[in-house]
Amino acid sequence: MRSTRRLTGGLGVVAATALVLAACSGTPDGGPEGSASGEEVPEGVTEVTFWQQSFTDEENEWYESVVDSYNESQDEVHVTLTAVPGDAWEQRMTAAQAAGNAPDIRTMNYGGVRNAALTSQITPLSDLISAEAWDDLQENVRGSVTVDGEEYAYPMLVEPSAILWYRTDLFEAAGIDGPPTTWDELVADAELLTNDEVFGMRLAQNAPDMSWSTWGYQWNVAGHLPISDDWSEGMATEDYAPLLQAFQDLFASGALPPADGVGYPDASTFGDGQYAMMANGSWAASQLLSDYPDLVPNVAVAPMPSFDGQSGQTTATLGGWTWAVDGNTEVAEEAATFIEWALGGDTENVVPFFEATQFSKVSPRVSVAEAISALPDVDTVNPWNAVIQEEIVPFAQPEPGYPWNVSLAMGEAIEAAMQGTPVSEALAAANDKINTEIANSQLAGTGS
Amino acid sequence: MTTIQAQAPPAKGRARRRPKPAHRDNRIAFLMLAPALVLLGIFVLWPLVYAWYVSFFNWSFYTESVFVGLRNFRLVLADPVFWASIGRGLRFSVIVVPAILILAFVFANLVKAMGQRMGTLLKVSIYIPTVISGVIASIVFVLIYEYRQGLLNWLIGLVGFENQPWLGSASTALLALTAPAIWLGLGLASLIMLAGLLDIPESYYESAELDGANWWQRTVFITVPLMRNIGLYLLVTCFVATIQQYELPLIMTSGGPVQSTLLPNLHIFLRFTNDDTVGYSIAAALLLFVVLGGLSAVIFRVINSEKAVDA
Repeated sequence: MRSTRRLTGGLGVVAATALVLAACSGTPDGGPEGSASGEEVPEGVTEVTFWQQSFTDEENEWYESVVDSYNESQDEVHVTLTAVPGDAWEQRMTAAQAAGNAPDIRTMNYGGVRNAALTSQITPLSDLISAEAWDDLQENVRGSVTVDGEEYAYPMLVEPSAILWYRTDLFEAAGIDGPPTTWDELVADAELLTNDEVFGMRLAQNAPDMSWSTWGYQWNVAGHLPISDDWSEGMATEDYAPLLQAFQDLFASGALPPADGVGYPDASTFGDGQYAMMANGSWAASQLLSDYPDLVPNVAVAPMPSFDGQSGQTTATLGGWTWAVDGNTEVAEEAATFIEWALGGDTENVVPFFEATQFSKVSPRVSVAEAISALPDVDTVNPWNAVIQEEIVPFAQPEPGYPWNVSLAMGEAIEAAMQGTPVSEALAAANDKINTEIANSQLAGTGS
Repeated sequence: MTTIQAQAPPAKGRARRRPKPAHRDNRIAFLMLAPALVLLGIFVLWPLVYAWYVSFFNWSFYTESVFVGLRNFRLVLADPVFWASIGRGLRFSVIVVPAILILAFVFANLVKAMGQRMGTLLKVSIYIPTVISGVIASIVFVLIYEYRQGLLNWLIGLVGFENQPWLGSASTALLALTAPAIWLGLGLASLIMLAGLLDIPESYYESAELDGANWWQRTVFITVPLMRNIGLYLLVTCFVATIQQYELPLIMTSGGPVQSTLLPNLHIFLRFTNDDTVGYSIAAALLLFVVLGGLSAVIFRVINSEKAVDA
């Protein structure tokens, strides 16, 4: 009896562990989370699969329209589009890679390109896309997709990751003249603006969001990133202390609330009137314009404040999205041809994307940027566009390309400080984690 | 004596003929077990064996995998986050499992004591959480725990307490997750307890009553000993399920704040989606398997079930 029960218990444990392992197994394409186009691929035509991260309906519609247009424009290649929700992306992509059915083309943020290239997850595109299309890119953005002299992805858009969005009506009611220009002022204003109805400030509220949305502040406060240039040594030094202290002070004062249930990129809680100020990317413009038109006249933007009060400094990174081709694809040429057609060819294919997103994002292509600036109504459609283009974008840095765990170590340190851990202790822990990551992933000497 | 001798040969003869039907029974038994064994082999045993194999490599989906021996296990064993997640899982289980067992016992007794209609109503009410998806339960509890509009803060506000960041503070987040975990696990445990209770012959209670035993004495000396095996089964299965809980922290807190709700499975899952070489995740899953197997074995050894079977 005892042995039977042991066996039963043992099998129970095995079955339970199988559930752990099941998380590591492959999942089929499509499924309830994604919206696969579902159309049939004509016989004799090469199929190219394409996964895009799904953000808004307007963006999804553009993706569908550009894919449809390409499929209609020729009869040799058929692109099959699948929109995958952002929160399911990593799991689905890793599972698809494990199962050997990763999509031929995928959207990829700039920060992921270097690591993906170094680990052969994506194919070099330098020779598969024309020199004309490469040369049309702004030089710094082209640099963000270049690894050891080869371009590994074609940029689609750039957008500053951190902008100060604030309510002019609430500022006026509180007797505050204008947006804060230092972090000390930001903390003071946020406390002044906080009452039973409204919180003073919204920043990223969990470690993963803090990891990437604070890159600009990290640059600003320390003048360097938390890992040496050659990725051989952690540099999460005391230089970052004022940033962690600001999060701690804001949270302790009640001006920065605990998690409100939505991620950093989502501006809905600001739109609902829960906050007087919000740090968010330029993409928040399209959400506010579409979903909260009544609030728009009372919202203004400014660069996120710097720590020394000087203007014209880096407080945001230029993030955004590229299209990359899978390292195992058998249709790299066809995939690259489609990418060039959709993103790097006729500006008429890509301008509608920026129109649909109400000019809340910027094209990295010179010719597309010129075409957009020639449109008569950009600043009318997006009232914050001029400030973003003139006061924020020129000073933003490209996203860092070191592995995610390095960024996460800093995000966890900021979160720990916010929750009350002494700042020095949080930074020391972050530095240890970064050094462990360098050793475990053998990063030394692989930096940019 | 002669009768006995006379009966012996036929008995021997029957004994000689026995193997044939017994063999047929075995064949039928194996045939009926085959589908389950095949499925177990494909979906449990083979992945387990393959996982051990993979754990010795820096696995890559894009380049040739590199054999690294025990390096992945060493990385996991040296990782304080892994051990912290195991400790956190144990703390979580220490709250959730006893709560489920005690509440299930109380509910099962209530259902048994009630009339048929009320008993059925209570049974259905208790069972409903079991058929609710963990995802939906997570979302419901997030709404309950919301800082400004949440039901819980509204309730404590009525008696003069200030709003609490239940999920937003490292000191309360894990505790906040125990409520939905207990709620989700209670239904099935209650029904299993009820089945166990109904299996105890009423005559035991009647005899005890005649001897003057009160409710407490009947519970302590009859119900609890005879429910021992049910309790042991629920203890191990609830423990294994609870320490492996990952839906609730994934959806409600993403493991935060400050990793205060990062339970072992969620830690492995998050590493897996952010692990270029996969080896760490697989090694961590296997080490978790070893830890769980070891703890389950300890539970089985400490709480011996055989006496109850004999009783």
